[in-house]
Amino acid sequence: MFEKFILQPFIESTKQFERSNAFCINEKFYTYKELAISISNIRRALQNQNIRSKNIGLVVNDDLETYAAIFAIWLEGYAYVPLHPQQPLERSLKIMTQTDVDLIIDSSVKSKFTANTVINSFRLATEEGVYLNPKSAPADALAYIIFTSGSTGEPKGVQITRMNLGSFIKSFWEVGFHIDQNDRCLQCFDLTFDVSVQSYLVPLTRGACAYTMPHNQIRYSHIYGLLENHKITFGAMASSMIRYLRPYFNEINISSMRYNILAAEASPLDLIIEWSKCIPNAEIYDFYGPTEATIYCTYSKFIKEGDNKHFNGMLSIGKPMNGINAIIIDDEKRALSKNQKGELCVSGYQITPGYWKNEEKNAEYFFEIKEGNTIKRFYKTGDLCYFDEDGDIMLAERLDNQVKIQGYRVELGEIEYHAKKFLAGQDAVAVTYSVKNGSNEIALFVEGELSNNYELLEYLKIKIPPYMIPSKIIVKDKFPLNTSGKTDRIALKNLIQ
Amino acid sequence: MERAEVLSKLTVIFRRLFSNDSLALTNELTAKDVGGWDSLSHMLLITEIESAFSIKFKLKDLNKMKNVGDMIDIIIAKL
Repeated sequence: MFEKFILQPFIESTKQFERSNAFCINEKFYTYKELAISISNIRRALQNQNIRSKNIGLVVNDDLETYAAIFAIWLEGYAYVPLHPQQPLERSLKIMTQTDVDLIIDSSVKSKFTANTVINSFRLATEEGVYLNPKSAPADALAYIIFTSGSTGEPKGVQITRMNLGSFIKSFWEVGFHIDQNDRCLQCFDLTFDVSVQSYLVPLTRGACAYTMPHNQIRYSHIYGLLENHKITFGAMASSMIRYLRPYFNEINISSMRYNILAAEASPLDLIIEWSKCIPNAEIYDFYGPTEATIYCTYSKFIKEGDNKHFNGMLSIGKPMNGINAIIIDDEKRALSKNQKGELCVSGYQITPGYWKNEEKNAEYFFEIKEGNTIKRFYKTGDLCYFDEDGDIMLAERLDNQVKIQGYRVELGEIEYHAKKFLAGQDAVAVTYSVKNGSNEIALFVEGELSNNYELLEYLKIKIPPYMIPSKIIVKDKFPLNTSGKTDRIALKNLIQ
Repeated sequence: MERAEVLSKLTVIFRRLFSNDSLALTNELTAKDVGGWDSLSHMLLITEIESAFSIKFKLKDLNKMKNVGDMIDIIIAKL
């Protein structure tokens, strides 16, 4: 699966389109030939190492070497564990320890990871020889491990196998996208986030060019610049990015866009109706999926001149992709019938074998159902959903305290855990609130007194990634309680102006 | 309005928005140099600048603002 749908088509691109552009990074173009050479050099450097763990740490900068490293790792049969340069070092080190990473590939001029074996990919001896023949690896070998926020303060490592990823890309093409060497595709997601994998694999397995998003840029205005200046034809975006563009919709006309994918969070119908006029020639698809089910697992196509199904103003997440089986269950894990709300669970080849070395969470989030002679293994998404009359899935709400901030999945409990640790005894509650353009932000309530917001924020900055840092801290003498005697999160939320 | 005057008005806005009384603006200053300068604060910043100078930015203007120097140029061109 992985070889057939990812490695072989990619290698074919590098041969057939060697002079075409594979990447546009920070306004600089790189051909497939240059990419292939960079991959080969990193691969040779990898082969010179004594590899103890198959999980290779990859510092995900926005440059050719970082993307090349992904393929070098895959061709060797290993998996990458993305480490974001802007994520606190302490968090990266924790991730590395958890996943037994002892070798890191880093394109930074000065690597922060001094204690480990580091391949400095930007200063490798360059040899012209292209060496892309893949080593064979089993289908259950890992392709990557991506960490998601964990409610108990520890991020969870989602292991994705070569089979998982190969199955995803196969099903993705079966939705009906026609991409070729003339396409210009947007890659505006951090490599620590799995929508990035779809965003670079689509162009690279078709000989097209990927336009990436540099770090440290104001995302919404930069994305607009890429779409407009480079006449992007295909791109996945999160609705929060689109929301920031809303005040300027009357200026936007991206007629080059053929396919636009909405991913990473629920899509508000009214926003997408307006947005669709900015991309008049594009087919719009809304995709849904947790990292555990490999990027996306359900989708619906947006109907431009007509009715679109929605619940609470959010677009229906549609039907499962090929190879995915979706059910909605009650608390007793019994499948519910149409129009009954319950937890959405998914099974199929895209489902992760589980969280890396975390038996407790694996027992909690995965379960098996016997159907005749076959056993299906399901992942519980934590999303409260129902099937409508036509079998389309409507997303109602979360069953826990997981929220989406700028498309990132955030467990409010993880922020609270670190805040409480700093506060040593005082209570802290994180909630989301919407700012005037409708996007979600995090506010942190602290009970009692807090002499200095600054110190708390500085502490959080060394523990959690930038998108998890609260944009407001509010101190309350006493937290309101609900009828069951617990902190009333809704009452706290209502205190935010 | 002179550049210096625009700069001092901007300094007041930046310092308040990023809660940093010692923030010194230079032409080369970019989002990566200022803690908390992200999409949300950028949007708030733009709104404050628009109301302080009674101007309105286009999305194309925003896309051209690579640093504070560009920002000042664009503001002056709109006054």
